Amino acid sequence: MTDRVCVGAIAGSFGVKGEVRLKSFCAEPDAIATYGPLTSEDGATSWDVRITRSVKNGFAARLSGVSTKDAADGLRGARLYAPRDKLPELVDDEYYYTDLIGLTVLDTGGTELGRVKAVLNHGAGDLLEISGKSLKQPVLLPFTQAAVPTVDIAAGRIIADPPDGLFE
Amino acid sequence: MSRSVWKGPFVDSYVLKKAEKSRESGRNEVIKIWSRRSTILPQFVGLTFGVYNGHKHIPVNVSEEMIGQKFGEYSPTRTYYGHAADKKAKRK
Repeated sequence: MTDRVCVGAIAGSFGVKGEVRLKSFCAEPDAIATYGPLTSEDGATSWDVRITRSVKNGFAARLSGVSTKDAADGLRGARLYAPRDKLPELVDDEYYYTDLIGLTVLDTGGTELGRVKAVLNHGAGDLLEISGKSLKQPVLLPFTQAAVPTVDIAAGRIIADPPDGLFE
Repeated sequence: MSRSVWKGPFVDSYVLKKAEKSRESGRNEVIKIWSRRSTILPQFVGLTFGVYNGHKHIPVNVSEEMIGQKFGEYSPTRTYYGHAADKKAKRK
């Protein structure tokens, strides 16, 4: 499990009074402000985020310690990270994408199938994209009780019972 | 202009045959199809189709809410991963 999660990025300055243009990657975009203080990629700098208004393709926001347009411009492209433990607890059978990515996938016999590379949702339920040395190309596994009977995040593994023909 | 009602929903005949065969066998399998234009019918509910997107077969678990849509709507042809951030996956 990662200890920090990328929740947004700074697209540049907004106006001339030191506000920044903020892009949120969260499922509910304005939730980014609740995960503060957010840190830079290297963890050296942290900011409290206050959203001031909604603008095209994001938010205008004020970051603590950033009071001039030049300072805001200097942050263009910076990614914002939140501590993983700031994300709310989830109910049973709900998992954060960030927790699932990187888990080892084993079949019911204990053979390693690969690792979770990404989690996708095209409207027909969540899919785990699994890639591994033994696979020619990534395989998409439906994230259902039948296909994924066990998810053990603490142990870093998933037990999969894939439908016939999926791993061929 | 929408399709005339008297014609009924369009489904490629091979999709119907494959779905029927899979349902009769009762096996847990992905039914590979290339027909993105076929309409999702009530008899497909509960089955898993692998809908071709020009590159690979995307698994689509058919549920009741999907009836009347086309298979292609659930199998995008362009890849976009986005960021994980705080997005949640629910195991159904």
